[in-house]
Amino acid sequence: MKYLKYLFIRVLKIFTLVVFVFMSTAQIHAQDNVKEDALISLNFTENNNIKTIKATVTNQIGEPVEELDLYFFVKRTFSLLPIGDVFNTTDENGVVEVEFPEDLPASDTEGNVVILVKILESDLYNDLTVETTKKWGVPIPDKEYYQQNERSLWAAAANAPMSLIVSISIMILSVWYVIFYILYKLYKISKIKPYKL
Amino acid sequence: MKKSIPEKQLFNSIKERDLLGHIVKTSVRYKIWIAILLLFIVFGMYGYYRQIRYGLIVTAMRDYTSWGIYISNFVFFVAVSLVGSLFSSILKLNKNEWAKPLIRISEIIAVAAIICAAVIIIIDMGRPDRFIYVFKFGRIQSPIIWDVIIISTYLVISFILLYISLLPDIAICRDRLTAIPKWKKKLYKIAAINWSNQPEQVIILKKIGRILGITVLPVAFAIHTVTSWLFATTWRPGWDSTNLGPYFVSGAFMVGAAVIIFAMYFVRKYLNLKSYITTTHFDHMGKLLVLLSLVYFYFNINEYLGPAFKMVGVEGEHITELFVGKYAPMYWLVQIFGLVLPIVFLLFKNLRKPVPIVIISSFVILGAWFKRFLIVIPSLQHPYLPIQGVDESYLHYVPTWEEWAITMASFASLLLIITILIKLFPVIPIQELESPAEETSIESKKFKNEIS
Amino acid sequence: MENKNSNASSRRNFIKKIASGSLITVSGLTIYSVSSCEKSTEGEKATLLTPDGKLVQVLKSEIESFEQLPASPKESRKGIPGKKFVMVVDLAKCKNARKCVKHCDKHHNLTPDRPYIKVLEMKDNEKSAPYWMPKKCFQCDNPPCVKVCPVGATFKRTDGIVLIDNERCIGCRFCMAACPYSARIFNWATPPNVDENLSYSPETSIPSKIGTVGKCDFCPDMIRKDKLPHCITACPNGVLYFGDEIDDTVTNGEETLRLSTLLREKAGYRYLEELGTKPRVYYLPPVDRLFPFNKENAKKGAS
Repeated sequence: MKYLKYLFIRVLKIFTLVVFVFMSTAQIHAQDNVKEDALISLNFTENNNIKTIKATVTNQIGEPVEELDLYFFVKRTFSLLPIGDVFNTTDENGVVEVEFPEDLPASDTEGNVVILVKILESDLYNDLTVETTKKWGVPIPDKEYYQQNERSLWAAAANAPMSLIVSISIMILSVWYVIFYILYKLYKISKIKPYKL
Repeated sequence: MKKSIPEKQLFNSIKERDLLGHIVKTSVRYKIWIAILLLFIVFGMYGYYRQIRYGLIVTAMRDYTSWGIYISNFVFFVAVSLVGSLFSSILKLNKNEWAKPLIRISEIIAVAAIICAAVIIIIDMGRPDRFIYVFKFGRIQSPIIWDVIIISTYLVISFILLYISLLPDIAICRDRLTAIPKWKKKLYKIAAINWSNQPEQVIILKKIGRILGITVLPVAFAIHTVTSWLFATTWRPGWDSTNLGPYFVSGAFMVGAAVIIFAMYFVRKYLNLKSYITTTHFDHMGKLLVLLSLVYFYFNINEYLGPAFKMVGVEGEHITELFVGKYAPMYWLVQIFGLVLPIVFLLFKNLRKPVPIVIISSFVILGAWFKRFLIVIPSLQHPYLPIQGVDESYLHYVPTWEEWAITMASFASLLLIITILIKLFPVIPIQELESPAEETSIESKKFKNEIS
Repeated sequence: MENKNSNASSRRNFIKKIASGSLITVSGLTIYSVSSCEKSTEGEKATLLTPDGKLVQVLKSEIESFEQLPASPKESRKGIPGKKFVMVVDLAKCKNARKCVKHCDKHHNLTPDRPYIKVLEMKDNEKSAPYWMPKKCFQCDNPPCVKVCPVGATFKRTDGIVLIDNERCIGCRFCMAACPYSARIFNWATPPNVDENLSYSPETSIPSKIGTVGKCDFCPDMIRKDKLPHCITACPNGVLYFGDEIDDTVTNGEETLRLSTLLREKAGYRYLEELGTKPRVYYLPPVDRLFPFNKENAKKGAS
């Protein structure tokens, strides 16, 4: 029994090894040899404020690639924001169209956005990223927008509200004027000489 | 005080002997008293040394109860310091002649209390070494800066207030006191700034006294109102109230009157001033205390009725905690023994006699101190978001011995400053500047009343 | 640029790594690990936003050499140009895994009894269901703490972040009393395990100093490197989203969404809006929960 069990485990081990070696070579094979490069050409059109990105995918010999999922992104501060539908699949002409959101803020004050179109995890084609900058975004406010010049209670000491500065100054000045006036008068008292001497 | 007293002191009048005697003669009792006070202060300094060394961790304050008895004690001292203005401004401007012998005491207490308040607030700081930053980087938007401005202003004003009322008497000390050590003679000579009762001098002094009496009033109201804004500018339950300013000011006047009664009882007893501070004074002060307590009572109702009626969220929790919760025993003791019963008792003439009134006053003072504890601490324990996932010690606040030692030391310092000022200067004004004839007649009338 | 890769590509890497990893372990043979698609960073360019709002291409090696020192206290007061940072917390996804707390504590050298982030057990009323509420500093646009600070030790930056300068703080604790959200903690004693060699920056909050105040700071040192704050990347359930309001985009590290769409569709709200503090942290209501409310998670997370 013990021998049988040992044999069984041994066989199982070899079997697993064989399966995995096979699987891994298959995978490496698929990656290195079977996949081919695709080409993406982008066409941007703007009609009646509707901005459309038209991507055409062709293979190495110029034939349109059908049934391929493309991913459309806009570059943001920390990550890439997906645009378009959940799946954007090419048609028989290798074409897919995606509408660019009209109210998306740009990355700069001039309206530039970085648009990326990607092929990801395709079984047949290598990963590919095409990056373009377009003036399609809503320009972000210029740097004056961020400057904290406004006077407020939470601003730095230099930007205290004028009304606060004025009223506190008036109060301090009036009270300390009286204090100094009294000190001056005390000084005057000290200067009055007695008659008798 | 190396040299023995050179000669025997002679006085020109009984009044002078009564009022200047204690300056010349140093009793054993006085020395023991000073020693006791110094003992408390040294012990408090040891507590503070530990706080400096290990940080505020030696206190019971934690992230939720982030202000403790230092702050409530600070509020108490600011409140006490208001008595100076009560007497030298309000009663003086109202021509309450009976209050005159009490003005000096009240001004001395005011000076001592405001000094202690300023020190206590530095003790509460996590980084006292950076105190200078308050001036270097001060933001005018912060109520703390308003408080710093107003406290320093009031400190200067109360010093001047005390000084100009003392000036003629300092000159008397300079001229009459012979049996005193040299440093005291020098002190009086410098402090008297050539005062010689010249008519011009009297005119100027009376004038600036009047100006200052008026000026001190808004400043005094401001000092405690600004202190109340340290709380009212936040969203904490019990602090987020528009009533807080007058509530604090009225409370300050009440405790101020009680402190005066307390002080005048002991000054009268230990300096033998029975013919200067009479039972009539106690009677008057009793009536004044009733009046001020009633005003405070009114603001108390305002402070608690609205929130207790609405019971909004954390505000409701806070009220529940005070009325029937963890802090209920302290709350009701304070409100009944420190406010309601004193009002009732002081309505009876017999209870306005020196001994009963000083007992009642001590209850008012104790009540006032713990009232400020109740204002500061329970509010912090009811934030909007629940207190969870913190150490058990964060949920309660029971002051540590270091905090008590420092607080006791602050009281000892208050008493020490008062004692030293009383020892150096006559506590009852000797020289009356205003129409002397009228003055004596009133005084003699008072004595007659007492005799009959 | 690795962090800017799309979620899809990172998932693919993940699958690959799992596959190669299991190969090695099961067979006991080192065939060779499948190379990941990470390329050498040499010569690679990064797109950066300049202070005047322009995109420029910079060599990545240059940025990295620039990253070494944390911002000086003076520089820390300015804020990152052209940004307004926001956070969105999806209450429907939180199961109190406490990973955000753990990572935050680790990176800010905090003890577990005084964390910057608290995950609170909330129950709005008797009938409604309890839920977990991760709470950090709300970085208010009308910040009560900044208003009351006597020395300007806590300040509001142009990018919306409220920071504390521990070298300026005098320890008056007025800000703690003023904050209605109890976001602030105090260094009552000398913080444990302080690395004295670190140069202090308000942006890193370390080494924190005795007698001064601390709080959640949105990790500006990470943001400066175009990386997400520690809590965001630590959360296993994608509860926390972070981003730039100007970009109108937030991300939880996995998915990237438009802020305005997210807030509109999921009825985003700010906690205690009626106080007028204008927080920069939004909450999405705890509806359609991913996890049942279970207190056991808390115990596991804490251990």
